[in-house]
Amino acid sequence: MGEDHGSSRHMSASQKELGDEDARVVRVGDTERTNERLEYAGNAVRTAKYSPFTFLPRNLFEQFHRLAYVYFLVIAVLNQLPQLAVFGRGASVMPLAFVLIVTAVKDAYEDWRRHRSDRAENNRFAAVLSPGAATQFPPTKWKHVRVGDVVRVTADESLPADMVLLATSDPTGVAYVQTLNLDGESNLKTRYAKQETLTTPPGQLTGAVIRCERPNRNIYGFQANLELEGENRRIPLGPSNIVLRGCELKNTTWAIGVVVYAGRETKAMLNNAGAPTKRSRLERQMNRETLFLSAILIVLCTVVAALSGVWLRTHETELELAQFFHKKDYLSDDKNSNYNYYGIAAQIVFAFLMAVIVFQIMIPISLYISMELVRLGQAYFMIRDTKLYDASSDSRFQCRSLNINEDLGEVKCVFSDKTGTLTQNKMEFRCASIEGVDYSDITRQQPAASDRIWVPKMPVSVDGELVELLTDGGETEQGRYAREFFLALATCNTIVPMILDGPEPENKVINYQGESPDEQALVSAAAAYGFVLVERTSGHIVIDVLGEKQRFDVLGLHEFDSDRKRMSVIIGYPDKTVKLFVKGADNSMFGVIDKTMNSDVVRATEKHLHSYSSLGLRTLVIGMRELSQAEFEEWQMAYEKASTALLGRGGLLRSVAANIERNLRLLGASGIEDKLQDGVPEAIEKLRQAGIKVWVLTGDKQETAISIGYSCKLLTNEMTQIVINSNSRDLCEKSLDDAISMVNKLQSLSTDSQARVPLALIIDGNSLVYIFDSYLEDKLFEVAIACDVVLCCRVAPLQKAGIVDLIKKRTSDMTLAIGDGANDVSMIQMADVGIGISGQEGRQAVMASDFAMGQFRFLVPLLLVHGHWNYQRMGYMILYNFYRNATFVFVLFWYVLYTGFTLTTAITEWSSVLYSVIYTAVPTIIVAIVDKDLGRRTLLKYPQLYGAGQREEGYNLRLFIIIMMDSIWQSLAIFFIPYLAYRKSTIDGASLGDLWTLAVVILVNIHLAMDVIRWNWITHVAIWGSIVATLICVMIIDSIPILPGFWAIYKVMGTGLFWALLLAVIVVGMIPHFAAKAIREHFIPNDIQIAREMEKSQDSHDATHPEIQLSTMARA
Amino acid sequence: MSSQAAGSSSGGSGDGGAPRRNSRKPKYSKFTQQELPACKPILTPKWVISVFVLVGIIFVPIGVVSLMASKKVVEIVDRYDDACVPDNTTDKLAYIQNSTIPKTCTRTLKVPKDMKSPIFVYYQLDNFYQNHRRYVKSRSDKQLRDASKANDTSTCDPESTINGVAIVPCGLIAWSTFNDTYVLAHNSKNLTVDKKDISWKSDREHKFGSDVFPKNFQKGSLIGGKALDPNKSLSEQEDLIVWMRTAALPTFRKLYGRIHVNLTENDTITVTLENNYNTYSFGGKKKLVLSTSTWLGGKNDFLGLAYLSVGGLCFFLAFAFTLLYLIKPRNLGDNNYLSWNRSPAGR
Repeated sequence: MGEDHGSSRHMSASQKELGDEDARVVRVGDTERTNERLEYAGNAVRTAKYSPFTFLPRNLFEQFHRLAYVYFLVIAVLNQLPQLAVFGRGASVMPLAFVLIVTAVKDAYEDWRRHRSDRAENNRFAAVLSPGAATQFPPTKWKHVRVGDVVRVTADESLPADMVLLATSDPTGVAYVQTLNLDGESNLKTRYAKQETLTTPPGQLTGAVIRCERPNRNIYGFQANLELEGENRRIPLGPSNIVLRGCELKNTTWAIGVVVYAGRETKAMLNNAGAPTKRSRLERQMNRETLFLSAILIVLCTVVAALSGVWLRTHETELELAQFFHKKDYLSDDKNSNYNYYGIAAQIVFAFLMAVIVFQIMIPISLYISMELVRLGQAYFMIRDTKLYDASSDSRFQCRSLNINEDLGEVKCVFSDKTGTLTQNKMEFRCASIEGVDYSDITRQQPAASDRIWVPKMPVSVDGELVELLTDGGETEQGRYAREFFLALATCNTIVPMILDGPEPENKVINYQGESPDEQALVSAAAAYGFVLVERTSGHIVIDVLGEKQRFDVLGLHEFDSDRKRMSVIIGYPDKTVKLFVKGADNSMFGVIDKTMNSDVVRATEKHLHSYSSLGLRTLVIGMRELSQAEFEEWQMAYEKASTALLGRGGLLRSVAANIERNLRLLGASGIEDKLQDGVPEAIEKLRQAGIKVWVLTGDKQETAISIGYSCKLLTNEMTQIVINSNSRDLCEKSLDDAISMVNKLQSLSTDSQARVPLALIIDGNSLVYIFDSYLEDKLFEVAIACDVVLCCRVAPLQKAGIVDLIKKRTSDMTLAIGDGANDVSMIQMADVGIGISGQEGRQAVMASDFAMGQFRFLVPLLLVHGHWNYQRMGYMILYNFYRNATFVFVLFWYVLYTGFTLTTAITEWSSVLYSVIYTAVPTIIVAIVDKDLGRRTLLKYPQLYGAGQREEGYNLRLFIIIMMDSIWQSLAIFFIPYLAYRKSTIDGASLGDLWTLAVVILVNIHLAMDVIRWNWITHVAIWGSIVATLICVMIIDSIPILPGFWAIYKVMGTGLFWALLLAVIVVGMIPHFAAKAIREHFIPNDIQIAREMEKSQDSHDATHPEIQLSTMARA
Repeated sequence: MSSQAAGSSSGGSGDGGAPRRNSRKPKYSKFTQQELPACKPILTPKWVISVFVLVGIIFVPIGVVSLMASKKVVEIVDRYDDACVPDNTTDKLAYIQNSTIPKTCTRTLKVPKDMKSPIFVYYQLDNFYQNHRRYVKSRSDKQLRDASKANDTSTCDPESTINGVAIVPCGLIAWSTFNDTYVLAHNSKNLTVDKKDISWKSDREHKFGSDVFPKNFQKGSLIGGKALDPNKSLSEQEDLIVWMRTAALPTFRKLYGRIHVNLTENDTITVTLENNYNTYSFGGKKKLVLSTSTWLGGKNDFLGLAYLSVGGLCFFLAFAFTLLYLIKPRNLGDNNYLSWNRSPAGR
């Protein structure tokens, strides 16, 4: 149980031990000598990326990491060669410059804000001990604080750097810090100053030397030692002695510390990494189509180049005198020199390169920016969705990665953590088994508060019989053990009690602060039963035992670690007896319990544990041992030696702990309930209906996991369970083979899917150890994909990632991992989509995730509604962008065939450039942000509609080919209808070019309009507005007298033929798309189409019968 | 759905009770919740058929009208480039390049139908790539417009300067201005060809300067075309202005002038032309065109035919879709058609 999150802390703990040679030496109060080699960073921080001088080069360098930009840069450069100058200087550079400038302005603004916050941060004041003085702390700017400085911090102040605590206002040296800014956890953490420095005035500490490890980003680990002047002893320092930059001092009047890491070397700054970058599947698929487009582009260019060669060859003799070619330069001195003509071969090469320049927008540069804008818009809507707001934690949905919104619509496999994700991670003490007696009859009543001084903040229901036993049965054997049991609960933990004034003056409310919700529940339970932890310092704790305050010395504490899966304390009683209390996971505890001592009790307890976990409770086993004086002294020696060791301290401490934690007497076991989050069973049911497989990966034991599986409807009674928990590789192989044959048998039995028996695979972490990294992996995969549900219990964090990888490697299924704790980080990062639950267990999961939200059940609207929308929108937008640019390029291409293959464009160069930037960019972005194929209600009512994304129906090669064929047809209509009408007429290039420009823009916008599903006012404005904007732009361009096409649009718009042609082009261009759409939607409708029609009839129904709508909603 | 309802109701009650300070709950608006009122058109059979019928109804009449308009146009086209070279000439190129040979040529045209004034006189060139990249780019619009920009000839190569002195107007286009001339006679009476207003008014007023005069023009070793009167400003040189509106396609007509006289059927017109322009070097054809005009411009059957066939196609499609809908009807929004309801195995 506790391992689920205790382990995470230690998993991340620093593995390497501290050696002298690579230690950082800090001389307390002596910044000169500390920094004499100038190797330690100052405290000024700099999060800004650029300075005014480096901005331009660095920003450009970063932007050109995008391949598309390089492509356009190469084309712009090509265009500057005089032989290839297709566009004017301005027009050729404009699109790239536009894109670069927009991004640069955005970057500059962000960086300016970072500069501003850096400046504010660096100019804050801290009280720093002035050299030589004993107690004077003049204010110093943060940026001038250096390693070795002694700093005094008062309550609610932020810490300027990472400091080792020297003294605090608390006589025992305790300081409380809030690490909200660092890891987002709002509970208070306890930090201690060492006894040795507690009373020394800060000025006199000068000369003390701290040796600590090199700066690293592990915020939960710190290793150092302190050597006071004149003493040979080295005092060990650990993570509990350091306070970190970015934290705030709370509930402590003041604290004094010495700076060990400053500025960019602080742990906070080292952890200041951005969100992970992932690329969405659509974007990867899009690259395939981009390659196709490149191929088409090369074909077009080759055709033009080849034909131009043929043309030159056949006309070779004529070119000299033809007025439009004028091959020779008659005006130069050398009458035989050619003008701008280098032979057919060179002309072919030029034609090819010029064709690349003219047809460059075949590869849509604006698509990348459009996609980013669309994702921003989608993120905006997801963040603002009230249905994704969690009222209990007051948290909104968070989009941390802006690259994979559309992946949410294609998920096939969800990997979920259990604790804190499916459950609330709000632990409640439910059952106790003491000396083989089960006390789980909880009367749901609070003990009367009137006679109680101490009221725990977390209410706990108690078992009346047990309360009676504790208060009255003090003399019986059972009563004695019960008292020991609760004393163990109250002492064996790392909880800090915070005492607040209660509603009435005579009672006090105790708020138990700690990192583990399990421990909080246990301590609260102990308090409810009358063993109230009221005070904790580094050396002792005070417990109010049934109304009488008693002081216990904490002689030693072996912290929880994931190897031992238990923790222990050594407590000195007021009567000088010394006892060891141990609590831990059952399998680890039963290994160290002396079963011969009371075998009946052990057996009864095991039975209780089994029944607790079947109820879905998290279980813990408590044991104790009284230590003799000799044993204690032996232990104390080893403990002190281990904890001051510089090398291998962690390992030494573990072995000390393992040495003392043996031959324990079993006291009992506890059962803690972790309630399911709201709506989890319904959410899982919806996901299942949507064709998403749900895998649950948990650190809990098998029974607990199965029972939670039932209660959240993951497992049902008609399922056939395949359980694999074996202790060797051969056994694993055997059970896997059995499972495979069973799966095959069941599948052959049920050929018609009606009678299919759903399967559930339950596998434990032990078996996974043998399975991973061997040929058994494939067998496991075979079984796993045949199962509807997979439940993995007792899995370690890295195994979670391994399971995700198992699926990711072997299938193309989109995977999603959801979790809340640090132990889920690896899995979240491994999966295609990682979702963090911002819950009780801190924020590491959120920090590693792509999206973060407050509740598991939000997964349903997130995937089924937003995911579906995002996918449909993005898929259509990419296709449309390809189509839109291709249509334009094809129109240019047809014209080139009638210009002697010389890459002349009738459409003005400015219109070519503005086409994908202004003329047609806005509608597609707007439609991709606000259009939705189906309403939220429909999508949630029919989760199966999600299958459209899983089957990749919104974007695939078939759709791409269809839309490209459409594009060719439309370009033919756009080009040839005016061509045939204007053949042998007086039409000039500019007028025809304007007609083509308008025709293309109107046609592609109408194509978009035809595919829009919901017309709201924004869509109307965007689509019709962009046509109007195009007309205005064309008019503006044609109002410039120094352009050859001056006044053409006004002239041509005055002729009836122009309008007749425009109408003909639009109708002829749209007929195939319209007819195909009509056929597809009526005769081969997909589910989305049917659902749209249902929605439509529902709407008209609602309009006439509003009250029925309400009742159907309630029913649904 | 129920989980959703529960979620929203609990959120709602939390908000309704005591408004929490600084709650991060997103504010509700129809926009942020993506619930803006919207029209959701669906292609129902009714819609599909009516769209096709409507397009047919619009297109067929337009087609008929434009076809009739096109039929009304009377057009006389006379190719003269071959005919105007004396029969015994073997080297047409040498003939046309030799400026000492007189190039006068007489053509007789017969009016096939009555032609109402104004009758437009065009020249038509075939295979002349006025849209060739080398050609279109070789001009300087600044120079044409502004007398002070006479030296702005950088874009005019290879006809920009002679011996370092700028040519006005520079560039290939101006250099190659068409220079055949036509004199028309009808019943041995001279037919006046009105050469005023043949160019765009906007060009005359804004594009070609009234203070810019030809200079150093057509002085090279190779004469491309018409020589301009150095005493007339560019804005008055309408032939040049018309020529410089470069044609979009390699076969094109340009307006030469107008005749303000009605011609009747079987009239004969005698054209005395100066065959100066060299199209023999690249096998281009030269034609003289006399044509009346309608709202559609000149003779152009294509548009009418196109409209008629599209209209017809739409009627056919309307009919075909009606048949299809009758043969294979489907209830709109019937949830039996959902894929998971169609197969018996569903949920």
